Amino acid sequence: MRAVAVGQAELKLFWRNRTALFNSLLMPLLLVPVLIAVDASGVPLVIGLVGFALLMAVYYNLVTTFVARREELVLKRLRVGELTDPEILVGAALPSVVIALGQMVLYCLVVAVVTGVDLPSRPWFLLLGVLGGVAIFVLLAAASSAFTRTVEMAQVTSLPILMACLFGSGMMFPLTNLPEVLAKVLQYLPLTPVLQLLNAAWADGPVIKPLTVVAVWIVLGTYAVQKWFRWDPRR
Amino acid sequence: MTAIEVRGLTRRYSGGFEAVRGVSFEVERGEMFALLGTNGAGKTSTVEVVEGLSRPAEGTVRVLGHDPFAERAQVRPRMGVMLQEGGFPPDLTAFEAARMWAGTLTSPRPVDEALEMVDLTHRATVRVKQLSGGERRRLDLALALLGKPEVLFLDEPTTGLDPESRRNTWELIRALLREGVTVLLTTHYLEEAQALADRLAIMHRGRIVAQGTVSEVVDAYPSRISFVPPAGVTLPFVVDAEPSGRVTLRTNSLQSSLHELLAWAHLNNVELSGLDARSASLEEAFLAIAEEAA
Repeated sequence: MRAVAVGQAELKLFWRNRTALFNSLLMPLLLVPVLIAVDASGVPLVIGLVGFALLMAVYYNLVTTFVARREELVLKRLRVGELTDPEILVGAALPSVVIALGQMVLYCLVVAVVTGVDLPSRPWFLLLGVLGGVAIFVLLAAASSAFTRTVEMAQVTSLPILMACLFGSGMMFPLTNLPEVLAKVLQYLPLTPVLQLLNAAWADGPVIKPLTVVAVWIVLGTYAVQKWFRWDPRR
Repeated sequence: MTAIEVRGLTRRYSGGFEAVRGVSFEVERGEMFALLGTNGAGKTSTVEVVEGLSRPAEGTVRVLGHDPFAERAQVRPRMGVMLQEGGFPPDLTAFEAARMWAGTLTSPRPVDEALEMVDLTHRATVRVKQLSGGERRRLDLALALLGKPEVLFLDEPTTGLDPESRRNTWELIRALLREGVTVLLTTHYLEEAQALADRLAIMHRGRIVAQGTVSEVVDAYPSRISFVPPAGVTLPFVVDAEPSGRVTLRTNSLQSSLHELLAWAHLNNVELSGLDARSASLEEAFLAIAEEAA
């Protein structure tokens, strides 16, 4: 696959970029005391860490990557080559996704060993949740990059999605603690159905609705990228 | 055989601005065609459509018989592009950037060979951000050559190059032309077009205002004879003199006008100091066209 060539170069750049390294690899560790303080343990802790990896290692990291490559005119250069547009985006996203998946596996193993989490009884929902989440947040990162002028601005433009997902998806506290109307609305955030699917891997829970919401977000994200994604710097 | 065919190309930006208005030209296989023009004349806007980066608002474009936008997959493996402004991640080395590019191509030449072609072998392990502007231009050219292209697009390829590198790049382009590569060049260095191009077109405000071989374009403009006559001599013709005393004649038949002038000077024993006679250059034609069209 030709996109891998771009992915390999991106991976090198990732190791050479201290900010990205910190955000992706160390930030999740800072989250552990927070999650423990809010009394997450076992399965909720695993799910919280997976959600956090999706937000930071995939979403936030990729907003900055897409903006940086656009402003460096790398995307424009790639576009006159043989790669198709989706291949360019996949190539640029590849290392962040691989690193995020690696983190998820690592954290889950650590938490499982320390707190004694059982193996999921329906692991395919774990897989669907993770893959759906990766797809959603890669697409949302590409869409957000269109509204981000500089790499520094990414800290601001990524906030709405980051904050909404961090606090409104049941990661920090269960949505059942919230007023019913608000909880209903928050079910449609991009991260909520992903976490619901992860939950469903261990406990019986609804899956049809979260799967539908995930699918809708993927469709919306694809549409947004096609409509707004910018290959050239703004002038 | 025609490599590039552009018919009635119009390009409109989202604000409604027409950057290119009904441009037509053809480039034969193995030929170099140069697009010249002042800044903002529409050269890059034209070339980007020919490269398939954008769909024309009106008109048709064919590269090697294909629509470069709709049939990108058929055309791209056979063309190489050097953008006016293209970028590489600053933290990759020159070699890494080229290897990444090679990994995206159907049948690339070896990375070392491409870097060798543009004299960058000794800078292969240097990060892109530490390369000079000229070295980055040459790296960009190396990437354009990596895919062994049949058609090469060069948008201001020698901007920022020192004279020696420019000379080397010209030699490289000549060698490619001898191998049968078709080149579409845009440049604002007129001597570059004069040295390399088989044919050229001059653009002004989105239109082609002159097109042909260098001599066809230049022949439409008068030659010049200039000299400083001795004080007090009455010339046999009416001309305006510059404050320095230098006078300039414009003529469409340089040889006979020069002959007449020299015969008159000889007969009257007049010394014409600083005598200078020259055919119109591309530069003069270009400036005249820009002036006329303004």
